[in-house]
Amino acid sequence: MKNDRKRTFLLITIPILALFICFNTIPLIRGVYYSFTNFKGFGSYDWVGLRNYMDLFTDSRVGKSYLFTFKLAVISTIVTNVISLMLALALNSKIRAKSFFRGAYFLPNILGSLVVGYIFNYFFTYILPAMADMAGIDSLSTSILSNPNRAWIGVMIVCAWQAIAMNTIIYISGLQTVPEDVYEAGGLDGATGWKQFRYLTFPLIIPFFSINMVLCVKNFLMVFDQIMALTKGGPAQSTESISYLIYNNGMSGGQFGFQSANAVIFFIVIVAVSVAQTSFSGKKEEQL
Amino acid sequence: MIENKKTNWPVMALLILGLSTIAFPLYMTIIIAFKQPSEMTTSISGILSLPQHWSLDNFREAMRVTDFWHSLLNSLLISVVTVVLSLIIHSLMGYALGRNKAKSKFYNLVYLFIVSGMFVPFAILMMPLAKQTAEMGLGNWVGVVLLYVVFYMPMNTMLYAGYLVNIPVALEEAARVDGASTWRTYWSIIFPVMKPMHATVAVLTALAVWNDVMTPLVIMAGSGQNTLPLAQLNFQSQFGTNYNLAFASYLLSLIPILIFYIICQKQILNGVVNGAVK
Amino acid sequence: MKGKRVKCFGMIACCLTGALSFAGCGNSADDGKIQIEIVQYKPEAANYFTMVEEEFNATHDNIHLTISSPNDAMTILRTRFIREDYPDIIGIGGDINYSYFVDAGILADVSDYPGLADINPAYLEIDEALELVPMDGTFAVPYVANAAGILYNRDMFEEHGWEIPTNWQELMALCDQIEGEGILPFYFGFKDTWTCLAPWNAMAVDLAPADTAKQVNRGETTFSTEYREVSEKYLELLKYGPDDPFAYNYNDACTAFARGESAMYTIGSYAVPQILSVNPEMNVDSFMMPANDNAEGNILNSGIDLQFCVTADCKNKEAAYEVLDFLLAQENLQKYIDAQTAIPCKTGDFTLPSMLDGMTEDIAAGNMTDYQDHYYPSEMAVDAQIQTFLIEQDVDAFLQKFDTDWQRYNRDIIRMVQEYEASQGK
Repeated sequence: MKNDRKRTFLLITIPILALFICFNTIPLIRGVYYSFTNFKGFGSYDWVGLRNYMDLFTDSRVGKSYLFTFKLAVISTIVTNVISLMLALALNSKIRAKSFFRGAYFLPNILGSLVVGYIFNYFFTYILPAMADMAGIDSLSTSILSNPNRAWIGVMIVCAWQAIAMNTIIYISGLQTVPEDVYEAGGLDGATGWKQFRYLTFPLIIPFFSINMVLCVKNFLMVFDQIMALTKGGPAQSTESISYLIYNNGMSGGQFGFQSANAVIFFIVIVAVSVAQTSFSGKKEEQL
Repeated sequence: MIENKKTNWPVMALLILGLSTIAFPLYMTIIIAFKQPSEMTTSISGILSLPQHWSLDNFREAMRVTDFWHSLLNSLLISVVTVVLSLIIHSLMGYALGRNKAKSKFYNLVYLFIVSGMFVPFAILMMPLAKQTAEMGLGNWVGVVLLYVVFYMPMNTMLYAGYLVNIPVALEEAARVDGASTWRTYWSIIFPVMKPMHATVAVLTALAVWNDVMTPLVIMAGSGQNTLPLAQLNFQSQFGTNYNLAFASYLLSLIPILIFYIICQKQILNGVVNGAVK
Repeated sequence: MKGKRVKCFGMIACCLTGALSFAGCGNSADDGKIQIEIVQYKPEAANYFTMVEEEFNATHDNIHLTISSPNDAMTILRTRFIREDYPDIIGIGGDINYSYFVDAGILADVSDYPGLADINPAYLEIDEALELVPMDGTFAVPYVANAAGILYNRDMFEEHGWEIPTNWQELMALCDQIEGEGILPFYFGFKDTWTCLAPWNAMAVDLAPADTAKQVNRGETTFSTEYREVSEKYLELLKYGPDDPFAYNYNDACTAFARGESAMYTIGSYAVPQILSVNPEMNVDSFMMPANDNAEGNILNSGIDLQFCVTADCKNKEAAYEVLDFLLAQENLQKYIDAQTAIPCKTGDFTLPSMLDGMTEDIAAGNMTDYQDHYYPSEMAVDAQIQTFLIEQDVDAFLQKFDTDWQRYNRDIIRMVQEYEASQGK
């Protein structure tokens, strides 16, 4: 009987593991391999050693895309978390039609980000300038997507619009874990409003806060659909995210080898960021 | 106690106001989808006004242009098959690893190996996978499904393994005493017990698969087959400047998931929260 | 007990094979006909190709033809090439992609195709010039060409009595005059980066040598020298466009021009069908971009818009040639010309569309030069660089970056050219 158990576990694990290796590990290794070649995606190619990696660090377009992606990720994460935390507090307060509101505010998250991007694209190009014109706000009377200094704001709004829905729901479930008597005890000590939030509520929902941070940063770093729908990397290459650059230049731009090197670096960056975040939030939780 | 029941009206008002940020884009989508190109003006009242006639012509045309039913069928097929396979394969893997990783170095290593797959961005796999799936004759929806099963394996396996910690081994031992094999015990006892986790996994996987563009884009490009989001991308140029047609098509692509959401809202919300918090 | 396990795995296996065979169904050939697949890169001509497909299949019993005209076909083609999945015939433009495909050995030598005899030799030369290093053989059958210059609203011009400019000073004066009458001279759709290349190409042929790129590759000159005047004049042109040209894409710009929101539009002849689809009544004509200060220095910018290449992987070249014959048949090519406002690459008696009236003379005289961007590597994204330049308006920075990037993105090509020349020198 013991053998049966062992054998069953092995019979389960081995095929599934093989599947995983076949479609995850092997392509990963192949990707690393291509990163040392000047492969265009078709035809013959040569081994070029570390040339692609040397180029990566001197390529201003790649540098710009990293800068843009990180800027977007950091700012979107902050905006998203601030708004969704406030929203969660509001949705958790004493209101009517609670479940209706929760359902409605979660709606953006289930919609496909590509189509959402297309809809907002129209909104930014035509509706917003028309509204700004009427309101007499000159600075908004041109499309924000056409200005290289502001296009990222458009991308950020769309990213945040969808992410807020998700984060809010997670914060709400966090707030529900805070027992009512904590507030009652706090109320006796005179903790209300901001103080109550800062010293009572927030410390108790720290785990949810770190979940949201990890989720946000990871999703925003890999942003692709929104870019594809809103700006296609423009204007003036100011909104090329790393994923978009890898797809665009690697698949259709003939830089298969070079962009593979970019992808390898991107992978290392993602791992580093995730590890840093996990250990940081781990420490923070211990402190409190 | 009476005080507790008082509704916080200022907050209510703010929440209703906030809803407009969600309602407004949807409202615009709907009215643009029903309008005719000649009704599209640049004045603000023209933008916000309701269409003159509520006609379904735009939708009919959009369905024809994007081959809507085919794309919908593809999307449904991919999502359903992926979810079913995920429930079977990932729960099995979660079971095998969850039960053994504490005792066995090998299983623990496999567990860490698979979970670390979560950090691999699709960007690095995309190009080699395009080549590999084609070499294996999988440049079609089957390939896409297999890839999804692999991509969501780290997350789902972790969820299942985590959930199993709360299910006592004694449950299985009782069945074993009755002479049932491990395999049968799993299907008759463990699999049903993990029902709440199945719901979570199904919701998370379904939402992610339904809206994904990149995998089908890379794997199925040029196969003549589209998923719903992919069709929006591929027919973007065919819409030209007819934004009304484009919006009708966008709206059509949103409707299935909206219906699904309205019906299973509670399960979806629970699923999402469970998945994230675990 | 074991039996059940086997059964279960068996069931999964069955499901998978069932699914696989179901998926395989779509591609299965019917009743032993020869299958020919064309992927062509002009989605705007999709209707024409659907018609060709239907007519061809109705008249041919032995060959079944499928033509797809996907959006963003170049990405799809490249993705398919990555997967080593080649259509039989590809319809692409005469640009750097063609050069790459020839170099990669993807395309078959079609010099034995009899139809080549009817093709205007000027276009075959353009294709030869596009080869990275000279190769033996012919790898494409040019179908139609296009020309980039300035499209104008003929009714508006006649109404106001405006004259067609022949040199740069006249063009600038015309723009001032148009603007003075409260009309926008140009419309631009620079949100789509590629549209930034249209005026660029049209001006570059007037102001820089035709083989600038090859000269640079040989180290004889730099872009900073050759492209300075083009860049400066481009900025002047920009002033006569809409306030925010980067907000609108190609479609938006075509629509605006068609609705009479501007008097002129700097784009290629290929935009005419799009414009007419918005306003079928519009009276559009075109003239050559007069970027040079001397009228004699101006030359028409024309290149191969669509050519058909048989892939090396094609199993049945005879059948592919039969398809090419059908495409090149007088009445079919004429239909394409009418529908797409194109210039035929085939010699013969064709009626050119009236929208090309202003260019017919130069076309007939052969006063034409290929697009400069057909030599730019696509990964260098010159279109986006020009867009950046137009936004930041810094000529020096732009040209300097152009030169450094060129060296980097072309080093494999430069090395190849040098190796080739060294081997020829021996």
